[in-house]
Amino acid sequence: MDSKLITIGRVSQMIGVSVQTLRRWDEAGKLLSIRKNKKGHRYYKKEDVESYGVKDLFKLAKFWIADDSGFEPSSAFYCSDSSVFQARLSRMENELGKIKELNLIFPLISAITGEIGNNSFDHNLGNWSDVPGILFAYNLNKKMVVLADRGQGILTTLRRVKKSLANHQDALYVAFTKIISGRAPEARGNGLKFVKDVVMNYKIGLFFQTGNAYLEIRKQNPVFEIKKSNTNIRGCLTLIKF
Amino acid sequence: MVIFLKKFGTTLTGRQFGKESFSAFLPSLKQFKKDEIIEIDFSGVVTFAPSWGDEFLSPLLDKFKDNLVLKNTENLSVQATLRLLEKIHNKKFQEKD
Repeated sequence: MDSKLITIGRVSQMIGVSVQTLRRWDEAGKLLSIRKNKKGHRYYKKEDVESYGVKDLFKLAKFWIADDSGFEPSSAFYCSDSSVFQARLSRMENELGKIKELNLIFPLISAITGEIGNNSFDHNLGNWSDVPGILFAYNLNKKMVVLADRGQGILTTLRRVKKSLANHQDALYVAFTKIISGRAPEARGNGLKFVKDVVMNYKIGLFFQTGNAYLEIRKQNPVFEIKKSNTNIRGCLTLIKF
Repeated sequence: MVIFLKKFGTTLTGRQFGKESFSAFLPSLKQFKKDEIIEIDFSGVVTFAPSWGDEFLSPLLDKFKDNLVLKNTENLSVQATLRLLEKIHNKKFQEKD
């Protein structure tokens, strides 16, 4: 099978709709499959699925991060290095700046996005588990930003400067709350503390997961609490809602 | 002497970019006289984040201490970043209205 073709079952997981719905969409021309013959199995072109996934960026990011072998995301969302990320962040900042109601806080949304994305590059450079770089996508109509990396995760990278960390929950707690001033063997920007301060003070929603630890800070009544997830992910997965 | 940060860009995030900006600025640092006031002007900067700020501002704060003065810092991302850098280094920035 062409490696760029995806089975209907996998597409169903990727975009979070049932196989039956996909068949219906195929017949309606909404998301077209490829069939070798009329009775054959349905396959989908990777680029078609990814463009469709724009409708649910978070599901797409979750699927990307959970994939066993790893694949490069659509070029629309893929930042293979920090310069690509920087350029796309500037573009997002510019688009955010045009939204009147975000007049005051858009630099904060851009800054926390920058800190999370740059953290992935700063702490995984040369140590990516498979696909280098990050997935960075946003939908300003839905007021959401999604970031994901298939790096080593916070526990592994933070243990380089704090060996006593016991598990992912400990690591996530330290990353978001404790100032780490040691610069050797690698510089720490304390960027996630900044992210926490900003989302708690300016009614911005945040979901962040690394390993099996996650936190979810809601826009209304923000509470900072680290929880244990049933699923264990590689790298880091973020959803910002504003 | 005044340093206009917008000359480095309007989206100032990322440790790597902060390092590059500081390296580019290093030759100019040699021109500063001892006891000279160094003003950092944030006008025109849209996004400012701690990773960039720590690479660029923190060494200046260490070197010039109270002679480092920041101006036009009203942008919320600038304010939030400065407050975090102050906590990290346990030092206060001088800000001018």
